Amino acid sequence: MHRQNFAFRSRSLSASFFLATLFCVMSIWTVSSSVSAQSVCLPLPRLLSVMPMGGACGTSFEVSVTGENLEDSSELLFQNPGVTAAPKKDANGKLEPNKYIVTIAPDVPPGLVEARVTSRLGISSARIFQVGHLTELICSAPNTSLATALPMPINSVCNAVVTAKAIDHYAFDAVAGQRYIVHCQSRGIDSKLDPVVIVADSTGRDMVVERRGDTLDFRPTTSGKHIIKVHELTFKGGPGYFYRLSLQELPADAPVPTFPSTQSVSAFSWPPSGLAANASTAEEESIEVQRIALPCDVSGRFYPAADVDTFEFSANQGEVWWVEVASERLGRPTDPAIVIQRQTAAGADATWVDVAELNDITSPMRPSSNGYAYDGPPFDGGSTDILGKLEVKETGIYRILLSDLFGGTRRDPRNQYRLIVRKAEPDFAAVAWGLHMELRNGDRNALSKPLALRAGSTVALEVVAVRRDGFDGEIRLVMDGLPEGVVAHDLKIAAGKMRGILLLTARGDAPQGMTQARLTAHSVIDGREVSHPVRIAQMAWPIPDAWNEIPYPRLVEGIPVSVTQSEHAPVTIASVETKVWDAKQGSNTKIPLQLTRRSEFSGSVLQLKTLGHAFEGNPPFDVSLATDQSDAVLQLTTIQPAPGEYRVAFYGSAVAKYRYNPIAIGSVEGEVKRAEEEVARIAEELQKATQSLAAAPAEKKSDADAVLADWKAKKTVAETAVTAAKAKLKSVTDQAAPRDTAEIVISEPITIRILPKDPL
Amino acid sequence: MTMERPTILLVAAGSVFLFAALSGPLAIVAAGMNDPSATSENAPVSLVNDVMPILTKSGCNAGTCHAKAANGQNGFQLSLLGFEPNEDYSHLVLEARGRRISLAAPEQSLFLLKASGTVPHRGGARIPIDSEQYRVLTQWIRQGARSDLATAPKLTALEVQPARGVLQRGGQQQLTAIATYADGSIRQVTSLALFESNDSAMATVDESGNVTVLDIPGKVSVMVRYQGLVSVFHASIPQGSPIDATPPSRNFIDDHVFANLKALGIPPSPVCDDATFLRRLSLDVAGRLPNEAELAAFLQDPSTTKRDAAIDRLLQSGEYADFFANKWTAMLKNRRDDASDITSNFAFYSWVRDGLLANKPYDQMVREILAATGTVIANPPVAWYKRVKEPKQQLEDVAQLFLGVRMQCAQCHHHPFERWSQDDYYSLAAYFSQVGRKPTSTRGEDMIFHKRGLAGVPNIKTGVTRRPASLGESAQPISPDDDPRLKLADWMARPNNPFFAKALVNRYWKHFFRRGLIEPEDDIRDSNPPTNPELLAALEKQFIESGFDLKSLVRTIVQSNAYQLNSVPNEYNVADNQNYSHYYPRRLQAEVLLDAIDDITGVRTEFPNLPSGTRAIALPDNSYNNASPFLKVFGRPENESVCECERIQTSSLAQSLHLMNAGDVKGKLANGNGRAELMARAESPMQDRIAELYRIAFSRAPTTEELANAMAYMNEPRTDTAGNPIDPGRALRENLQDLLWALINTKEFQFNH
Repeated sequence: MHRQNFAFRSRSLSASFFLATLFCVMSIWTVSSSVSAQSVCLPLPRLLSVMPMGGACGTSFEVSVTGENLEDSSELLFQNPGVTAAPKKDANGKLEPNKYIVTIAPDVPPGLVEARVTSRLGISSARIFQVGHLTELICSAPNTSLATALPMPINSVCNAVVTAKAIDHYAFDAVAGQRYIVHCQSRGIDSKLDPVVIVADSTGRDMVVERRGDTLDFRPTTSGKHIIKVHELTFKGGPGYFYRLSLQELPADAPVPTFPSTQSVSAFSWPPSGLAANASTAEEESIEVQRIALPCDVSGRFYPAADVDTFEFSANQGEVWWVEVASERLGRPTDPAIVIQRQTAAGADATWVDVAELNDITSPMRPSSNGYAYDGPPFDGGSTDILGKLEVKETGIYRILLSDLFGGTRRDPRNQYRLIVRKAEPDFAAVAWGLHMELRNGDRNALSKPLALRAGSTVALEVVAVRRDGFDGEIRLVMDGLPEGVVAHDLKIAAGKMRGILLLTARGDAPQGMTQARLTAHSVIDGREVSHPVRIAQMAWPIPDAWNEIPYPRLVEGIPVSVTQSEHAPVTIASVETKVWDAKQGSNTKIPLQLTRRSEFSGSVLQLKTLGHAFEGNPPFDVSLATDQSDAVLQLTTIQPAPGEYRVAFYGSAVAKYRYNPIAIGSVEGEVKRAEEEVARIAEELQKATQSLAAAPAEKKSDADAVLADWKAKKTVAETAVTAAKAKLKSVTDQAAPRDTAEIVISEPITIRILPKDPL
Repeated sequence: MTMERPTILLVAAGSVFLFAALSGPLAIVAAGMNDPSATSENAPVSLVNDVMPILTKSGCNAGTCHAKAANGQNGFQLSLLGFEPNEDYSHLVLEARGRRISLAAPEQSLFLLKASGTVPHRGGARIPIDSEQYRVLTQWIRQGARSDLATAPKLTALEVQPARGVLQRGGQQQLTAIATYADGSIRQVTSLALFESNDSAMATVDESGNVTVLDIPGKVSVMVRYQGLVSVFHASIPQGSPIDATPPSRNFIDDHVFANLKALGIPPSPVCDDATFLRRLSLDVAGRLPNEAELAAFLQDPSTTKRDAAIDRLLQSGEYADFFANKWTAMLKNRRDDASDITSNFAFYSWVRDGLLANKPYDQMVREILAATGTVIANPPVAWYKRVKEPKQQLEDVAQLFLGVRMQCAQCHHHPFERWSQDDYYSLAAYFSQVGRKPTSTRGEDMIFHKRGLAGVPNIKTGVTRRPASLGESAQPISPDDDPRLKLADWMARPNNPFFAKALVNRYWKHFFRRGLIEPEDDIRDSNPPTNPELLAALEKQFIESGFDLKSLVRTIVQSNAYQLNSVPNEYNVADNQNYSHYYPRRLQAEVLLDAIDDITGVRTEFPNLPSGTRAIALPDNSYNNASPFLKVFGRPENESVCECERIQTSSLAQSLHLMNAGDVKGKLANGNGRAELMARAESPMQDRIAELYRIAFSRAPTTEELANAMAYMNEPRTDTAGNPIDPGRALRENLQDLLWALINTKEFQFNH
């Protein structure tokens, strides 16, 4: 993804958000919680689709959005200041729900930007929007047969949604021998689509097929009409299965264009700080053993199949070298592996012995298994790339054998790598994601949540670090640029550890607002302050059933944070006093907690675990949801923290009797009332018209009759409006009915000072 | 009895030297002969070379009796077919406190009492008291029941005499088994050898090695087994009918097929007509009936090369790829065990299908499966490793599917019909020993990678680690850095590989001719010879030289006049079922038949979550069998086996009843948008409508008689249940439905012919 400057500005969301008369229940993705008896996670705004998913520089066009919990949304925001949106109005000046006029300035560089909308509940999750240079089309009519194939000009891109159990058809006129590039962007722009792209002849007979999201580089042998077919690998379809199909003409010797894509989570640890854009040395494929000098920075590729690239170098006893390889993190489906060997005999009979094997960057946290239960974050911060150490025990000639463990049969010259061998440059990279826990088997909805805080709530980000070249110092986490009333608390990544927590707390009286925040990780390395931005990983889609839908995590660019007053956290947990709590080493202690309850709960007990370095082993303890005060129990005899100051928080899951947007009921009741009044008014007019007709002289009968007919028609329209308003009222009333909803509850942070034991 | 060459039948023990010369070098054809039955009273009896053969011949160590592989009987276990004499010695002499052997009173030995039926024995009297075998066993016990495992001369060769013969129908041939030992001794072991015909409909053989030929002409073989070695008697059974002419030869296939027919005296049927050819070709290549437009264009085409053009057109079609992907993915076990398998199954099916469409060389396709790495989505053949997880299963599947060799037996014991040992088995398994797995976020799926290290798998019997070795070859050194699977793929694709190309061409030959040149098609071994070895060799050569080009192979086969022969036999070749003297009709496989019914009724079967119009031959996995009783009844496989035999091609009463009465078929006939309904509303002359139905069903026009019968039936009035005449329009619709029903229920429709 091209990094863009974020253009959100701090703003207050007006009260009209939740008082607006316009109330749109999203037709497809309404409140997902309605599906099962117990819902998981309080609703949050999610932007799920944008149509079209992109546009050309210097153009202005209409965009429709859909999503979850987006009622009252009024703003569509883009990361890049050159891409702006204004709500669309109809001919009468009335806002058209979920429609915007988007304008892309001519100087916006092609690439991906993130789009979000604001809503009653705050900022939504992100959806990818592409800025391009091709002619944009939208497929707005069914094109699921040869006869209905949508004509596609050369050098155009079509925005479409694939139809379930069907194949989309496009027609284009090809010239024999001309080179065409056909590409279907989907996963890389947040779609659920695993695309199958087929180029067929004019009769629909398949000629070439691409099923792995790659580009079709195609030269027809005959001129004339050709067909492009697109479908989902398993013939799924519907709103989440959108795509951008591009057709380009290219000169025979031109390189295949690259298509921007979101990045996998593992990419957060690449590149190392200060790395040059281009490697200083290129792999020479014609040389069997390439001589290099350390340190080195080599670019190469795993090509052809089963390629093993060998680099020979001299090293002296006692040297320590750090070896890093990037390929998977460059977006390639590879698994680099290195064997380092030392020469034990020279000449024609040279023999080599293995001295090291390097393989994989271990995930800082054990990622979840692919089981049904939640047993860890399904974000793999590790990589199949390499980050390891070579300790030279003997002076001599060494060689690196670099291969791709996935490359035995694959011949893809795009499988590039970058090999770096360097002296230790201690450093780190960090990535964050929303803390999750087991709420319901299979459910991964929470992993696509935006940072849209309810007033009075605390949310946690799990932050993990990949440490480079032996760095094991403490890493502090800082988030700034937050909305008024929102505070970030650092539960640092302790020295030698890989994981820390960042807490975001919105005061109960925090005003409605939204800002673009910055999350950074800081440390002191070799006496100098080092800081790095921390990116956020999110699932592209909420996933209610992890068995039937493969989670698709990726990094997002922006970190907007909002707070809403439309709803409050069901419960706020904090210590009864804001102070540093003292406890003696070796003695258990209790900290009195204040529970501010704003909801009914199913069950009266909330089991809490402890977050924070040195305290995570604290046994779970219960607090009562039936009272306003309870105690946190810290079993210091068990966890035995060293003397010092710590910041901890407590978390667990509670099932709230949650009501979705009850305030909307009053609003819609007003609509019903107004509609009924209008019917009554028209009825009166109708009665008058009836009387007028009866009293009208013969020559005026015709006019009176017309007037009567007009009022009758108006009455019909008004009655229809009443019916619609009542249906809407029923809908919002149903949604506002209390519903058991499991939610993660996190306390505000508490600072504890562990004092040394009393001397005996 | 006619002998192809002079045969000398050895009838007594002793030393015999035979010298033969016929305008060529002198040859010694046999030398030294001892029949074990002639062992004298005092001659030492060998456990290895006398006792074990008797136990094997008597069936004591067969799977159904005391073989350890089947857990033995009543605590007494012997190694299967006596492959482990050291273990058998222990079982016989030492186990059960030695109660099975009585050195003091050999005749009272429990194992002799049982074997002779003197005491109750569930296996019956296997070795009668008055038999020579009984005498030898008794003598062995009397001599101390000793093991001579270390000293007994090792059996080195087994020869059957004669090795070949031309036998007339109804004729007989006595076979003689000759064993050669490492010390140079030679023994006639006929009485102890096991004999088995490869086609009991053509020839039978009794336990003494006497072959009796039945009425079917062709090639038959008799396998002779003795102590782990196998020899084969090849018999040719000519019919001797006069052959005035054969169809012209279009390629080497015709040369070999017609030469064989001439040698056997079986005159071939003539070449079929154009309509029959197009229907046959379309069904065999694209798994569908030709449509009306294709048929009309083809029949009207005056070109002399139109058959070749039709072949090329069909080979370029997506349906060719669909049809053969359906065939391959069944054997590659693309099976849906869980709803979450759908993505990997579709990906793998599609990968196979796309490769066939693009005509990826077969060796490349196999290589990409064998050495697959990565994730299923990035590299779909990884899905094979999702289904076939254990190295043993991997080697067994690879051997059977790609090499035509069944290795399963050799996991636990020496293969009884083959030369493969347990060492061979584990050496082959060693190629898969470095398959590494990493978890993915997708349930049930791993990333597959080459796990660095020295490949090897221990032989469970000996505990000795076997390094990778291809069948029939010694272990090859493979660096820990090299993926051994790539070496296996290299070996497979070598031009001199004796299995790889042969297995494929035989499999494809069977696809087009119903019967493989070797049957079963995935059981290629010395003891199961091809019916036309020259043809098989020529096909193999052509396939290798073409660069393992599958479409070229198909093209070569279907271009031959041998393939294009009429299915109607003449009076001389009616009994032939293995020499391809006429086209052997076969029932359409489940998917093809369902599609054909959809074609003729004009109503397509809907499959869950697939686009309307998806043909049954294009179904990616077995899951659709659950929703389609038709596919189940007609034997669509569940993709559980690497063997094509999982597909049921035999006929059954259930199939007949299904076609006659099942709701899905009846529903198609009566469908409001179906062909019967549309035809009833059509305004074209009735005879044209009837002719159209015949063309769709049979690719031909109705005969005069058929047309007359159909016309008469169309005009028959119908009555309702109360006996009142029904509306003529409805009557016509129902009469058309009946006609369609009748056409579907003909063999001509249900068979490719």
